[in-house]
Amino acid sequence: MVEYKSTAKAAHASAWLDASFSAMADPTRRAILARLAQADARVTEIAADFPVSLNAVSKHIKILERAHLVRRTVQGRDHILTLNAEAMAGAAEWIDFYRQFWEDRLASLESFVTQPRKSAKKGNRT
Amino acid sequence: MSAIANVPTVTVKRKIAAPAKKIFAAWLDPASLAEWMRPCSSGTQRSDAKVDARVGGAFEIVMHVPSGPVRHTGVYQTIDAPRRLVFTWNSPHAGQHDSLVTVDFLPDGQATEVVITHERLPEATRAGHEAGWTEIIDSLAQMITA
Repeated sequence: MVEYKSTAKAAHASAWLDASFSAMADPTRRAILARLAQADARVTEIAADFPVSLNAVSKHIKILERAHLVRRTVQGRDHILTLNAEAMAGAAEWIDFYRQFWEDRLASLESFVTQPRKSAKKGNRT
Repeated sequence: MSAIANVPTVTVKRKIAAPAKKIFAAWLDPASLAEWMRPCSSGTQRSDAKVDARVGGAFEIVMHVPSGPVRHTGVYQTIDAPRRLVFTWNSPHAGQHDSLVTVDFLPDGQATEVVITHERLPEATRAGHEAGWTEIIDSLAQMITA
């Protein structure tokens, strides 16, 4: 069974999720996230892994940073990128919540339409 | 740039041994909805459901969970019995953020495969609500079928 969050918390999460989902909508950005899930990496290493320009990779990384999905640490001349797993989890939560929600509802719908009606004494309240 | 392309999606399917017509009806009949659209099918109180079953009509489903009532609302966008039902979906979990639910009823012999596609609508799209839902839905449909 799914649990509901408080409305205030959910509203805050909602704005955050919009940024996360937008950031994750792009396949290159998802690939960058997947790369960082394996290990931290320099911006230049990421750029070398993808068939796009360093400039294009930088733009993608900035979008991921704005969505708090990726953190950047500057060590001398190196810019090290780290995946923010917590933020990823927040975005995945919406999807998980509704996957479970609708799976539960469909199971309930199936019982409703395939099983003989038990007692419906109370009638429907509107 | 299209904000539509940013939509994340949840898809859930279930093959149900009943005709599409019967299953479709269970979505729009308030007494039926109150019965099956509840947190856990056994042990919990039935939900309260109000339905204005027409395009542009609203629905309200109040589910009763241990922590209290949870209100879900939406507006029907497409009612194509017994094939497709599209409605907006708004609940506290989503931070009162509109999302879009499409339910497809695909006949499979004597059974029906029910496919629920739930999409979260980005803020940019939401701001343009009044401008025209139809346009948004058309765009979504194009994206899905592309």
